[in-house]
Amino acid sequence: MSQVALELKDVKKKIGKKEIIKGINLSINQGEVYGFIGPNGAGKTTTIRMIVGLMRLTGGDVKILGKSIQSDYKLAAKNIGAIVENPELYPFMTGWQNLMHYARMYQGVTKERVEEVISLVGLEKVVNDKVGKYSLGMRQRLGIAQAILHKPALLILDEPTNGLDPAGIREIRDYIRELAVKDNVAVMISSHLLSEIELMCDRIGIIQQGEVISERAVHDESTDSQLKVIFEVKQNDKAQEVFEEKELTIEKESNKLIVKLDREDIPNVVKSLIEKDVEVYGVTPIKATLEDQFLELTGGNVIE
Amino acid sequence: MSKFFKLLYNELFKTYIRKSTWVMYIVLLAIIIGGAVITSIFEDEIVTSYSDDNWQEELTQENEKLIQESEEEGGYIAEMNSSTISKNNFHLDNDIKPLGYGAWQYTYENASLLSLVSLFTIIIGAGIVSSEFKWGTIKLLLIRPISRTMILLTKFVAVLVFALITLIFTLLSSLLVGAIFFGFEGFDPYFVTSTINGYEHLSLVGETFSSYGYNIVNLIMMTTFAFMVSTIFRNNSLAIGLAIFLMLSGNMIVAAFQKYDFAKYILFANTDLKQYETGDVWIEGMTLGFSVTVLIVYFVLFMALSWVFFNKRDVAGH
Repeated sequence: MSQVALELKDVKKKIGKKEIIKGINLSINQGEVYGFIGPNGAGKTTTIRMIVGLMRLTGGDVKILGKSIQSDYKLAAKNIGAIVENPELYPFMTGWQNLMHYARMYQGVTKERVEEVISLVGLEKVVNDKVGKYSLGMRQRLGIAQAILHKPALLILDEPTNGLDPAGIREIRDYIRELAVKDNVAVMISSHLLSEIELMCDRIGIIQQGEVISERAVHDESTDSQLKVIFEVKQNDKAQEVFEEKELTIEKESNKLIVKLDREDIPNVVKSLIEKDVEVYGVTPIKATLEDQFLELTGGNVIE
Repeated sequence: MSKFFKLLYNELFKTYIRKSTWVMYIVLLAIIIGGAVITSIFEDEIVTSYSDDNWQEELTQENEKLIQESEEEGGYIAEMNSSTISKNNFHLDNDIKPLGYGAWQYTYENASLLSLVSLFTIIIGAGIVSSEFKWGTIKLLLIRPISRTMILLTKFVAVLVFALITLIFTLLSSLLVGAIFFGFEGFDPYFVTSTINGYEHLSLVGETFSSYGYNIVNLIMMTTFAFMVSTIFRNNSLAIGLAIFLMLSGNMIVAAFQKYDFAKYILFANTDLKQYETGDVWIEGMTLGFSVTVLIVYFVLFMALSWVFFNKRDVAGH
C-alpha cells in the first residue's frame, strides 16, 4: 500500500566550482509526513527547487511516483504540489482569480474543486478580495490551496506555518496530518521551527552542508533505549552508592542526580533505593527534544 | 478549451486585470479625441464635404485663395499651398470630385499613433516575463506540468494579441471619433494622394490598412527585441529603455553606417517595407525578398535566444 512517493538518488548540485548539494539520498512514502530541517544555507531550498524542477540537477535523479523529474517532467510535475519559499501570488488579483489561474494549468480541476479547496483552507470570506490586501497568514493558506488544487501525491511545503497565529498553525497542522492519513499524500515540510516539525512529522531528515547527516523517526521511543533519568531524593549520598553499585554513570545537578540507564531498569533501581531506605520524591525521564538533538548534530546554527 | 488557449487566457487575464494596462487605452483615446478637437478647431481650411454640382467652382475659389496667400506670405507656406493647388488641379483635370475630410481620412492620418501602440506593446512585452520574476510568482508558474517552452510561447503570443487588440482599438476609436467630428465618408471612399507616379485616385480604406500594416513590422520586431532582453536579463526597465532607444535611433544607426557594405544587414534598414512601394530604397541593391529574409533571421534569432535563456536557466533565489 505505501508506495514510495518521492525518491532522491544521489542528488547533486554544483554551482560554479562549489558543490552545494553533495549527494542526497532519501525517500518518502505515501501517507508519510517528512520533516526536512537544517540550519540556514544548508541546502534545503536548493534541494526543494531541484525536486520541483526549478533547478537542474548536476548529478543523480529525483523520482515522483517513479517518474523522473528530468526525463518525464510533465508526468512527475503533475503529482507535485508545492510552496517554494514564501507563497508569492499575484497581488493585483483576488484569491479566487489566483486559484483559477493555477487551476487552468491542470487537466480536470473544476470550479467545484476550487470552491472545495477554498473552504478547506478557510478562505471563503476573503476569496474575492485582492491578494495584496491579505495578511501573511491568509497568503499562506492561499499558498496551500494552490498546492493541493490538483490533488497531488506529493506536497512540498516550505515553512508552512510561517506567519500563522497559534490557532491557524494548529488548523494547518491538523489538515496536513489529515491529508497524509486520509488521502495518502506524502508531505515534505521544510522548517526551522523544530517544535512544529516534531508535532507534524513522522520522520525527519537533518541536512547540513549539502548532506543529510541524520534521519530518524519522531514518535519512535524505542530508538533511544538509554535514557537520562532525574532522581529527586532526600539522601543523595546513599542513592549515589546504589547507583555506583549498579555501575551507572551519574551527573550531579544542584541536589538532583541525573543517571543514564535503560528504560526497563528503572523499576529495579527504584526498588533498590527504597530497600536502602532512600526517600524518593521523583523519578523523571528526560526526553531529549528535537531541538537538543538538532543542535547536538549540527553544532549550532552556523552558516557556511 | 485546449491547454494552449487556457494558458493564453491566463496571460491576457493577468495583463488586462491591471490598471496600468487600462491607462494605456485611456491615453490612446484621449489623444484620438484631442486630435479630433484640435483638427476641427484650428484647421479651418478643412472642408468636410463638397457640393455635388458646384465642387469645381469651390475648388477654383480655394485655389485662388491659396495663390493669394502664397504671394503674401511666401516661403514655407507657399510651398505647402503649391502642393494643395496641384492636387486640386488634378481633381479638376480628371473630373474627380474631391472627398471631404471624414472619419477614414482621420483614421488614415492616425497611423502615426502606431508608434505609441508600439511603445505600449514594448512595455507589455518587456514585462510579461520579467514581472513574474519580480513578483516571485515565476516559482509557482514553472512547477506546473507544462513545459517552459509552452509557457514562453503563450506569453509571446499574448503580447502579439495585446498588440492586435490595441491596434484594432486605435483604428475603431479613430473611425468612431472621426465620424462624430467630421462625418463618415462611406464604406469604400476613394481619395487622391501623391505616390511615386504623381497623383492617384485610390481606395482610402486600402491605403489606411496598408499604412497600419507597414507599421506593424517595426512593432513586432521591437517588441520581440524587448521580450528577448527582458527574458535574458529579467529586467523590464532595461528592455524598455533599449528597445525605445533603438526604435528612435534606428534610422540614425543605418545612416551612420550607410557607406559600409554591412549596413543593409542592420535590422533597421529593413523594417520599413514601404521603401519598396515608394521606390525610395535606403541602400542600393536591397529588394523586398532580401528585407523579408533579414527580418525573419532577426526574429528567429531573438526568439531562439529568449528560448535558450528561459529554458536552460535555473530559477534560483533572489
